[in-house]
Amino acid sequence: MLATETSPSAAVGRLVLDQARARNITLFVASVLAAYALQPAMPIRQMDFWLPTASLALAVIIWAATSPALAAHHRPDRATLTDAAIIGGIVLGVAALRFVEPLEGLITRTPPPAVPSVLVALAIVALLALAAGRILGSRPAWTTILVVGLTALLFALKFEPLTQALAATLRAAQGQAAAQASALDVRWLGFSYIFFRLTAALRERASGRLPDMSLREFVTYAVFAPALIAGPIDRPERFVKDLRASFAFNWPDATEGLRRIATGAFKKFVIADVLALFALNEANAAQVQGAGWTWLLVYAYALRIYFDFGGYTDIAVGIARIFGVRLPENFNRPYLKPNLTQFWNCWHMSLAQWFRAYYFNPLTRALRTRAWAMPAIVFLGQVTTMLLIGLWHGVTPNFAIWGLWHGLGLFIHNRWSDFAKARLVIPPERPRLQQAVNIAGALLTFHFVALGWVWFALPDVALSLSVFARLFGL
Amino acid sequence: MDNSIATPIAEYIAGVILKNPKRVIRPDEKLISSGLIDSFHLVDLGLFIEDKFGVRIDDSELNAETFDTLEQLVALIASRR
Amino acid sequence: MMLDRPSALRILAKALALFVALNVLFALLNPLPALGRLSLYNVVWPGRARLPYGDDPAKSYNLSLFDLNAMFASHELAGATKRDDEFRVLLIGDSSTWGWLLRNEDTLAGQINAMRLKTADGRTVRAYNLGYPIMSLTKDLLVLSHAVEYRPDLVVWLVTLESFPANEQLAHPIVQRNADAVRALIARYGLRSQPNDPALVTPTFLDRTIVGQRRALADWLRLQAYGALWGATRIDHHIPQTYEPAQRDLEADSSFKGMQPPTLPKDALAFDVLDAGIRMADEAGASALIVNEPILISPGRNGDVRYNFFYPRWAYDQYRALLQAHLAARGVAYLDAWNLVPQEEFTNSAVHLTPKGTRLLAEALAGTITGRR
Repeated sequence: MLATETSPSAAVGRLVLDQARARNITLFVASVLAAYALQPAMPIRQMDFWLPTASLALAVIIWAATSPALAAHHRPDRATLTDAAIIGGIVLGVAALRFVEPLEGLITRTPPPAVPSVLVALAIVALLALAAGRILGSRPAWTTILVVGLTALLFALKFEPLTQALAATLRAAQGQAAAQASALDVRWLGFSYIFFRLTAALRERASGRLPDMSLREFVTYAVFAPALIAGPIDRPERFVKDLRASFAFNWPDATEGLRRIATGAFKKFVIADVLALFALNEANAAQVQGAGWTWLLVYAYALRIYFDFGGYTDIAVGIARIFGVRLPENFNRPYLKPNLTQFWNCWHMSLAQWFRAYYFNPLTRALRTRAWAMPAIVFLGQVTTMLLIGLWHGVTPNFAIWGLWHGLGLFIHNRWSDFAKARLVIPPERPRLQQAVNIAGALLTFHFVALGWVWFALPDVALSLSVFARLFGL
Repeated sequence: MDNSIATPIAEYIAGVILKNPKRVIRPDEKLISSGLIDSFHLVDLGLFIEDKFGVRIDDSELNAETFDTLEQLVALIASRR
Repeated sequence: MMLDRPSALRILAKALALFVALNVLFALLNPLPALGRLSLYNVVWPGRARLPYGDDPAKSYNLSLFDLNAMFASHELAGATKRDDEFRVLLIGDSSTWGWLLRNEDTLAGQINAMRLKTADGRTVRAYNLGYPIMSLTKDLLVLSHAVEYRPDLVVWLVTLESFPANEQLAHPIVQRNADAVRALIARYGLRSQPNDPALVTPTFLDRTIVGQRRALADWLRLQAYGALWGATRIDHHIPQTYEPAQRDLEADSSFKGMQPPTLPKDALAFDVLDAGIRMADEAGASALIVNEPILISPGRNGDVRYNFFYPRWAYDQYRALLQAHLAARGVAYLDAWNLVPQEEFTNSAVHLTPKGTRLLAEALAGTITGRR
């Protein structure tokens, strides 16, 4: 990969090694700090300190529960203690900034809590981590408990009544008026994605495939700054491979990274932001007149969400690339794909991959070995996978319908292609026909997806239905 | 490429998955990223390999990154036997 | 792609050089006026019924910008071909003409058009709303200087005392940011405003680069994008359910812009700008009708000292007399509508009318418009 990698010179080799170490420490420290710095302020006091701290705590506890090395030796080794001390030091350092007036607000948006309570929290996390290592370290199968726990937490954060109850509890704990609790009080930056990374590690551990990662590597993986806010969702095995590969700052990766950042910034801050001005939303959905204009707003939304998310991914991938980390891609021209199955192979790919690996494949395997009929398996597999993906965005009827929309779409496409596979084969000597079929398929797929966004973009079913009525002149 | 592994897999893909026994699967043909094998049949393929060669391909490995061609799949199986 | 360090640096250097060159070229060529004329309005989107203005773009699907070319290019006037039987009326004025808190069908232009008026010679009256929510005659003149390109038959200029103070003529960003155009007007019509007035913004070379003009470029882009929602919703102004009504109980303060009774000096008012506008209309082959717009005559506390929040009685009464005499001396058509609208037909300001209040004004204007030529 790198010109220097094969260099025979030992001095160069050491330099590369040192650069790799320096890079890894930089990524580790920067990612921990970024977890605080990127977290927006919330109406509940000190939450902008405690939520990132909770992200780190989860990472540390789950590392302890899944680390094969920790399980084998029963006690943390020197390197682990160093890493833990660095994390604790940063957390305390962030909290201590309240005493350094000019630096106050440098990392967290609002004043952090007092140092003693942070010390208590750190001690609790350390004890929990040790307990997790003791209890779960030698029983990988039991890590399922943690998967269930994380899922319950995710559900609480995505289901508004529960989020509100959680906000009320947190408000009461901070001595604030619980009556004013709102779901917006608990906007835990990056948790949706941290959830995927941590569960991936837990599942890989249960299947015995989790590589032995140091605490530092694991925390970097869980809260990796470029991918913290919105992915892509990497796999532990792949991520750690990049961290361990030799690294030296090099211009090819840097220019490619900068190019990706520039492309991403253009997509996100120019194209997506302009489209956002007239993309379908709650306000304009009720005001738009006429079918043609309604289609325009729906198309604008479809393109906007692609350029926004795609641009964000480009920036994340580009930043990581400069540091020699090749994050997985999320998009591969999804709107040009000739059918819905291929669309989902090319849209938010790291999410779809996660669901395939940890939900869909095990489910299909289980049903297959129980000799269910194929159409029933396909139906259950597609519909429940897409329903879960929908609900991950938020537990609301509209996101559920959006998931079902795609689940049923995938099921129908699967049945159709199964039917057509043996009967409607386009002979290779007719490339034009194949091309025409592909274009028609891409148009159909794009419109199916675009209409699906009508559920996704709007907050309630009635409004979405009224938009459908207008789209089709009903 | 080990044909004792490749041939049964190629036959399985062509005959059972693609329902077209005459279809030739080239060693470097993209199977997953091209959409040739959908996600359900991918699980089937995993089960088939487990039965036939006694090699487990984990659920999280059923993706184009781990193997996308017959060549890569055969190498993966060979490395685990 | 394998790049070694020198070639990678070369790429970065090239990118930097290109960036600098583009910026310098942009500053030298100054393509913004030309870009302003380029518009999706009247081509892809329907033209706007009034000039773009909006302080809450997310709700009004409209924004305020300084580029008069782009503003006019987005107006339906720019896309309207004038038929032989059209009697084209351009309405110039402030926010009351623009139609603050009014939907387009309720503005003065909207209501005049709804009357389907015919002139004595059988032409159909078509009114265009060129009001702009800033109170300055110089701003009006600036708008008019663009408007006369569109072959008006009649320019109706709605004025009020608040637009007249000579020392406040340049006190608005839209005037200040169009410094060259304002200077040209000063020179051509011998206006009393100073061409070197520090309020007029002279852009430096850096200001004229792409980086310096990024706000203007972004405004242009956003204006084009909002055209989609203008077409889709016909909304260009957010009208809230409730608003603070115009003040009725007034301070016992008789001063106006620092001036005290008894005399409002004529040279404190920008009659020179008014004359320039009248001349400009005449040069364009249009006649001018000056309208002193309706004001709220407040029934509340201290109503004997002031008519409303803007005007003490003495100053406003003298202004009316001055305006009347000035226009009579020049033989310019004039309609004094100051007390036409009852106080309950004002909305959130002493010059903003309800639809019904606007209707009264439209009816008063109808006769004057159709009786001409």
